[in-house]
Amino acid sequence: MRRLWDIRELSTVVILVLEIAFFAWYLWPEGARSHPFFNVGNALLVLKYSSIYGIAAIGAAIVIISGGIDLSPGAVIALTGVVAGALFVDGHWSLLASTTAALLVGAACGAASAVLVVIVRLPPFIATLGVMGIARGAAFIITEGRYYDLSKDLPPGWRLLGVPLDWTSPLLMVALALVFQVLMTRFQWGRAVSAIGGNQTAALYSGVRVGLVQASVYLISAALAALSGIALAVVQGQGKADLAMGYELDIIASAVIGGASLAGGRGSVVGAVLGALIFGVLRNALPQIPGATFYDRLIVGLVVIVIVVMDQLLQRRKGTL
Amino acid sequence: MSAVRFHHVDKSFGAVAALRDVSFAIDAGEAHAIVGENGAGKSTLLKILAGELRPDRGELRLGGEPVALSRPRDALARGIGLVHQEMILFPNLSVSGNIFAGRELTGRFGRLREAAMRERARDLLARLHLPVSPDTAVESLPIAYRQLLQVARALAFDCRTLALDEPTTSLTAAEADHLFRILGDLKRDGVTVIYVSHRLPEVFRLCERATVLRDGQFVRTFRTADASSDEIVQAMVGRALNVAQGFLGRPKRDTREGGSPASSAALKGGATFKRVPDRAALGLEGFTSRSFDHVSLVVGAGEIVGLFGLVGSGRTELLESIVGLRSISEGTLVIDGRTCRFRSPREAARAGVVLVPEERQRQGLFFNLSLRHNLALPAAEARRAHLVRSSERSDAEALLRRWRIAAPSTRVTPNVLSGGNQQKLLTAKWLALGPRVLLLDEPTKGVDVGAKYEIHGIVREMAASGVACLVVSSDLPELLALADRILVMREGRIRGELAAVDADEERVMRLAATPEAVA
Repeated sequence: MRRLWDIRELSTVVILVLEIAFFAWYLWPEGARSHPFFNVGNALLVLKYSSIYGIAAIGAAIVIISGGIDLSPGAVIALTGVVAGALFVDGHWSLLASTTAALLVGAACGAASAVLVVIVRLPPFIATLGVMGIARGAAFIITEGRYYDLSKDLPPGWRLLGVPLDWTSPLLMVALALVFQVLMTRFQWGRAVSAIGGNQTAALYSGVRVGLVQASVYLISAALAALSGIALAVVQGQGKADLAMGYELDIIASAVIGGASLAGGRGSVVGAVLGALIFGVLRNALPQIPGATFYDRLIVGLVVIVIVVMDQLLQRRKGTL
Repeated sequence: MSAVRFHHVDKSFGAVAALRDVSFAIDAGEAHAIVGENGAGKSTLLKILAGELRPDRGELRLGGEPVALSRPRDALARGIGLVHQEMILFPNLSVSGNIFAGRELTGRFGRLREAAMRERARDLLARLHLPVSPDTAVESLPIAYRQLLQVARALAFDCRTLALDEPTTSLTAAEADHLFRILGDLKRDGVTVIYVSHRLPEVFRLCERATVLRDGQFVRTFRTADASSDEIVQAMVGRALNVAQGFLGRPKRDTREGGSPASSAALKGGATFKRVPDRAALGLEGFTSRSFDHVSLVVGAGEIVGLFGLVGSGRTELLESIVGLRSISEGTLVIDGRTCRFRSPREAARAGVVLVPEERQRQGLFFNLSLRHNLALPAAEARRAHLVRSSERSDAEALLRRWRIAAPSTRVTPNVLSGGNQQKLLTAKWLALGPRVLLLDEPTKGVDVGAKYEIHGIVREMAASGVACLVVSSDLPELLALADRILVMREGRIRGELAAVDADEERVMRLAATPEAVA
């Protein structure tokens, strides 16, 4: 039996709990005022914003486990939001039609990365850097600087399958995390992804369809980023070409503090989502500390390094990968 | 006076002794060959000469004076140049950049004297009859030119002793001729040439003397004018064969007489019986590619066929072509009587044909996955499974027990295992899918004798259950002990076939190393 201690995601959960406890203590209000950080409304806010990173971080973790890297999620988020917005607001398409179209555009970005990596054999860094530029550029060309707010055209009190709008993207994140966690650990596809990341040549010799699995990984990463973009556009009402600038690095960082190794072969989908929550809490709580506003990027950078170094020390002590 | 003298040189890597008490001398201005089987210690000796390795004991004397070379730079400074077997060049630099890499001609403040280097490079290239410009990118040069470029690099540093490690393995006959003409010129200019090769005709053509190493020990130095090729081969392989076979051996099957096909009962009984397979499981006809030429062979169900050849003979390429890792230009592959052509190892595995590759680190094992997943993956892929079954854990435990792989549990990663157990794991992971044809490339490379014995047991057990086994090895005693028949490959062709009962090291070596020999 696997002991609880062996579960890799445990240390990420511990860090998240300690982080929440720290901010709850540090920001404890004087007197009887309500807690500015530790309350249900704020928790929902953290979840809502983190889910944009978290959904895409699932894809980033899978790509990283396969030994690759995807730099395009930020740009894909922006492009899909813009496409959904343009079709829904300007084109008067139905919500379902416009979001489906946006999802397909996002998947097309993933297909482009897949072709460049698997068939053209570009290094993933270069291939997805190119796709990132193209997706971002396309978003600017479509909007010509306009801004789409889908939420104001939605009927008041609109719910998705009976779920209040604010809850949809956190629930989507949790559901996707569970689905992909099971796919990665209980399905041959997930094992093939790990095998390719661990030793691509041995995977080929062992009968893994290396090209096909690699292609699926980039497609999934972009499709998940597209879902993030749609969530951003629909739930938060934002569809804008310069949105989600630099998200790709936060998304990769989420996967990495969740246990993914950039050398490939190691990582966890659930860990990546927890990583996104760790960043979400930091981004939510730091501005509430007086005078910390200008420190938040610096602290986020330090946190990445500290967590990854701690993880390495822990792995070395256990003596296994 | 001797230019180079090895004086009681010992060198070990871990527990493996690569050189033991080697002493001999190379005269100034002569061409001296160092010959021996794979693993005899030739390359180690050259690396000591070139300052890449330091001897554990003993010393190297140059012109009578003991020297301690701690870096390749020290050897270069003393006029010793080494042309490596695997070509060490900078593909991103120009020809002249490669010749002077590390010892560029510089002016004041370290400014590169490009024009002077280009001029020197032009002279050297002319001396080697190389029709290339110093500005050519090395990437675009043919292999033979790259080899000569290494010679140019050595000459640029006023090299008086030039050592070459198997320089002709990747050259065509015409290209090798060119190299020999140049080496002849250099000899006339008074350069001492040390030539490592297992191709005896080259040795006789170029060298005045030849030193034979065997198992890391000095055997004898021959004067090539007085020695025959047979004498040298005998010195290369002349170990007590009976000892190796007694330990690793099984009853040899006689291939010449009639009798029943292979069965485990007959094996245990120690009887000799006929091999010529009733049922050919694997057949190749006229297999041809860039690395081999019209190879035809048959392996029967339950038969173990050894494929012997020296490095560069095309053995690995042949196995990789069977499972679709390389393409062939012509030829047919017949599996169980049906013509097939595989485009990937996956297709081959689905048809029951598996390759256990040579390099377990690079081609075989997943060091990020547990033993359980390592063992289950190929079979699951071949079954086109979607779900990862929980029964895999007990299957893996059974496999570890069955093949006696010493591991603390199925949850550890392969890096905690010893080399021998890693090698057994590598074999076991492909056996788990129940192959009909088993291709093994150097199945006991770098493992100790005990593990070797156990891997031989695994192969025999598979053969006894009716699997056709084709074993590539450069370990001749291993093939003699393991195989029913031995095919000898040289320069991409099958040069002969010997029944194991008739084979001895000398006959096999003669086929593998000399073109004119007849079985």
